[in-house]
Amino acid sequence: MIGKLLQVEFMKLKRKGIWFLVFLGPFGVVSLQMVNYGVRKEWFLHQGTYNWDYYVLNVSAITPFALILGIVILTSFMASIENETNTWKQMLALPITRWSVYLSKYTTLLFLLIIASSLLAIFSLLFGIYLDFQNDIPYVDIIRYSFYPLFAALPVLGLQLWISTVIQNQGLPITVGVIGVILAYMAYFIPDWLIWKWPSLDNQWNEPLLNVYWGLAVGIGIYFVGMIDFIRRDVK
Amino acid sequence: MEYIVETNRLTKRFGKELAVNGLDIKIPKGEIYGFLGPNGAGKTTTIRMLLGLMHPTSGTVKVFGKDLAKERIEILKQIGSLVENPSYYPHLTAYENLETIRKIYGAPMERINDVLTIVGLSDVAKKKVKGFSLGMKQRLGIAASLLNNPQLLILDEPTNGLDPSGIIEIRNLLKQLAAEYGITILISSHLLSEIDQIATSVGVISKGNLIFQDSIESMRLYSMRKILLKVNNSERAWHLLISRGVKADYEKEIISLSNMSDDDIAEVVRLLVENGYSIYRVEEEKRSLEDTFLQMTSEASGI
Repeated sequence: MIGKLLQVEFMKLKRKGIWFLVFLGPFGVVSLQMVNYGVRKEWFLHQGTYNWDYYVLNVSAITPFALILGIVILTSFMASIENETNTWKQMLALPITRWSVYLSKYTTLLFLLIIASSLLAIFSLLFGIYLDFQNDIPYVDIIRYSFYPLFAALPVLGLQLWISTVIQNQGLPITVGVIGVILAYMAYFIPDWLIWKWPSLDNQWNEPLLNVYWGLAVGIGIYFVGMIDFIRRDVK
Repeated sequence: MEYIVETNRLTKRFGKELAVNGLDIKIPKGEIYGFLGPNGAGKTTTIRMLLGLMHPTSGTVKVFGKDLAKERIEILKQIGSLVENPSYYPHLTAYENLETIRKIYGAPMERINDVLTIVGLSDVAKKKVKGFSLGMKQRLGIAASLLNNPQLLILDEPTNGLDPSGIIEIRNLLKQLAAEYGITILISSHLLSEIDQIATSVGVISKGNLIFQDSIESMRLYSMRKILLKVNNSERAWHLLISRGVKADYEKEIISLSNMSDDDIAEVVRLLVENGYSIYRVEEEKRSLEDTFLQMTSEASGI
């Protein structure tokens, strides 16, 4: 059943330009580095920081912000497909369980975000190769900094999907989303327990994996809370 | 009798407001059940509960003899529905819209073309629904409801936005479905004239209460013309008629006879004349089904 629902979800994304968005996110992150390195190459050389490690850090500084922004846009996009003419009432009167509908939405979003994260890894690698650093390519770090933020951002994904599916008026999810984007931008200054900080992989113990574990645990928790609420609600 | 839909004290409360109050709907197999009521009477809320979209505050719904709360999926496999305004994905074509639903039912691919032909949308199958007129969207909704060859069709105001010829087409289609395939149909409307031309049984809802439920014939009888007699000594005349086995009512010096043939009326008049009563007036009071409906709903709101 989930397989069929996923096929249907991807059908609904047709002609919506969503694949362009999935491309634009990671491309945007790397193109900021294109500007950065285009303008400041001499300075990096002068500082002795013209190397792969420093480059990967530079890329990863923008990633959390772009990721949260992407999550907010994609989730409200997915919800708007159903909210536009209230197809919820049509879909939920079909012989399918509500949890599978919710799960297929979540899975579709996760899939799109994994594609975006993979593209980020590829783009970072390609531009890094173009910059022709002298040391070895840190493949593991590139992959780590492309995917860790995604896992750490699962609670935000769960939260955004929850509120954008159960609330018809998209004003609230967008507001929460915008606040989230701002918090993600200020990640360095906000306390560790705020979920919007986690994608930055920064914490007082300097252990990025902690954020990944929290993200997975809390992300699954919020997913279930959202799904149960979705199941119990009346469809207007 | 076998009921396809049977609700027991079905109730829905939104906060303090009682939207649906203790409904006992009974829809026999093969009937076209007209669900009538003014706007805001609770029709759509009831239909949403029948489809499991809303959870009843209390009471139960049985469809095909199964409890909806327990066997929702099994039941929904055999129901086609159209709730309120048509729902569709504007950026997809008519065909693609149906495909999103067909996949979930697991119905054969050809079924899409079949239902498009049935509702007369074959020509625009490859066009985006964005550009459709309201009537076309409504047809698409009906097409979607037929995809799974349902045993029960639940249509909420299906002729909304259709032009007169479209309304007639849909009406004929529904009659045909009921006659040829024995599909049971629940169709809601706030227009009695619409229900009158298609339904075989009727339920009237007003302010959340089911105030009438019977065959359309009984509703017609209810609204049959009445003959009013004004005679001298009317109360005694009424007793005379009753004693002779004539069904007559008496109110405010007037004897009223309902549901009688012309011959019966002539017989009553002769009887009264032969017994020495003076007949001042014989009047006919006509009540349309519409009047009956309005009277029913206004009586209910008076309570």
